[in-house]
Amino acid sequence: MTWFTFTWQNFLFSFLALAFEGLPFVLVGSLISGAIAAFVPSKMITGILPKNGVLATLASGLLGLCFPVCECGIVPVVRRLINKGLPISCGVTFMLASPIVNPIVALSTFAAFRGQAPWLNMGTRLVLGYLVAVVAGLTVRQLRPESILRPGAVKLPTRKRLAFSISPLPDAALAGFENTFSQKLVGAVRMACDDFIDTAIYFMIGAGVAATFNTAVDQQIILPLALEPTLSTVSMMAIALVLTLCSTSDAFIAATFVGFPIFARMAFMVFGPMFDLKLFFLYSVLFKKRFVISLGIGLFVLIGLVCSRFLIYVYAGQGL
Amino acid sequence: MRVKVSNFVNGITLIGVGGVLLDFFFTGRLDQYLHPQFRVWTLVAGVLFCVTGVVYAAAKSTSQCCIDGECVHQNANSPLRSLVAFLVLFVPLAAGVALSKDSYDQHAVLNRGFVQDITKLPSRSGSLSVQIPNDQVIPPQALGADMDERASEPLPQDTPGAPPDPKAAANDGTGQANPAVPSSDDTGSQYLPKAADGNVALEVTDLLYAEAEDSLRKMFADRTIEVIGQYLPGADAKQFKLVRMFIVCCAADARPLAVPVEVSGPATATEMSWVKVVGKAVFTQKGDHAHVVLKADKVESTDPPAEAMLY
Repeated sequence: MTWFTFTWQNFLFSFLALAFEGLPFVLVGSLISGAIAAFVPSKMITGILPKNGVLATLASGLLGLCFPVCECGIVPVVRRLINKGLPISCGVTFMLASPIVNPIVALSTFAAFRGQAPWLNMGTRLVLGYLVAVVAGLTVRQLRPESILRPGAVKLPTRKRLAFSISPLPDAALAGFENTFSQKLVGAVRMACDDFIDTAIYFMIGAGVAATFNTAVDQQIILPLALEPTLSTVSMMAIALVLTLCSTSDAFIAATFVGFPIFARMAFMVFGPMFDLKLFFLYSVLFKKRFVISLGIGLFVLIGLVCSRFLIYVYAGQGL
Repeated sequence: MRVKVSNFVNGITLIGVGGVLLDFFFTGRLDQYLHPQFRVWTLVAGVLFCVTGVVYAAAKSTSQCCIDGECVHQNANSPLRSLVAFLVLFVPLAAGVALSKDSYDQHAVLNRGFVQDITKLPSRSGSLSVQIPNDQVIPPQALGADMDERASEPLPQDTPGAPPDPKAAANDGTGQANPAVPSSDDTGSQYLPKAADGNVALEVTDLLYAEAEDSLRKMFADRTIEVIGQYLPGADAKQFKLVRMFIVCCAADARPLAVPVEVSGPATATEMSWVKVVGKAVFTQKGDHAHVVLKADKVESTDPPAEAMLY
């Protein structure tokens, strides 16, 4: 057996399974996102934050619970919120936490790990995602805005990017859907569809890569990577970086890497929604390249250390 | 014009995706891909895709999608974006309708590696266990309960407040015997499901559970059993593996389970075809672990079971 043996039969079977399982979740997330965009004004979100900067940062990490947005749609939202006065530390915390700390991801994580300590895995993912985002936000709080933000990104951003830009969540009143409920509803559906299309494109590409990886690559080659805690954690985060999956469905793919220890798969599920190849480009719309790279390295090291040096014992204590 | 083209293509893409999901659901092909708990989501999503696709294509688009002077929807009306979405979202799924064989081949099975210890596999949480008279607990999966929901139902005598009614329990209205209902047979074997020809009908998982469960080994010993699985050729013509795929969520996480089979004469089945093996399970102790070999009296081709995957 060579290290790479591709067959359409195996690829299609695995790819379609991932698509059938994940697409409904992407759609549900998009519909919720569209509904919030049409019916909930952004200022409501800034209005509920505490005045104290640290408390506001802590609270921002929980906004995703009532304002669920996956990582694909979060950048335009954060940019708009920062434009409207949200502190940057809160924006970064919300940007990093929301793709993980939200009910859709909690549900999908629980479902994907059904039979594999679902409550523990769901709780660990949400708590770890929240803590890492808060640490990042509090760190950003010490930095000057002009050293982080891309020049002109907030007030007059440039958007010279590929056709599949991320659909934003404009306030209904500003988007021309304010007249009647039915118009708002249609607007919500349209924005949800745009969100879905933008997100699902990346999801399908990720599912294709994952299906190829799972069926064509000789698993015996990967096995040694899974045996050593640090190496397995680093490997899973590197895979997350490349696969660029959506947080609403990446748990299903993480669950398929059964050869890897659970703490390494947790690193995959926490790091992936916060930073991957797709997000590198998205973050660059709002932040300076140097900050984006630093953010990526910082998240990689922090999550890697927590998972391989701490979570390993937590799971071991649970017999996992 | 660009807006109309983009809207139309996006709408077609969404309707097409929905159509593929509904096609797989209603033709039953989806059963090979997903755990039963996820299938209904596919149905709901298929309907929603079609509805939203129609709304998207039919709704009048607005040009007022600018916020704070920043037009953030500029690419939503791009025909190029719509074309990319069509190619990436719909075309692969449509290709799957025509080209997918709804199963893995031998290479994928070998590549994934066989599950060595079935007790390490995730199992259905909160599932029921059947109490046999000597108070030993047998996992319901070990009795084929996952394959037959009736078998996982609590027995009448185990249901608080429910009066024992063997006649009612033995006949669920279909006229077929409930395999989980005790008969007047000897202790233990009364819980074993029976095939139409009287043989004990087991799953591959039953035999693998028995490797770790002494009471099951005693129940299976010296009985003629029949097991259905996929044929995976062995080192020579007189041995092969009987394979079933175990999934947690979907086929992408499928792991093969296998029982070695020894036959007196050469087996003639094709690779990964479905066969029924009739014979006896022989357990040999190696160290502190028992290993099962199915000594086959008969190997014959058969139709795939209603649920090709085990959960």
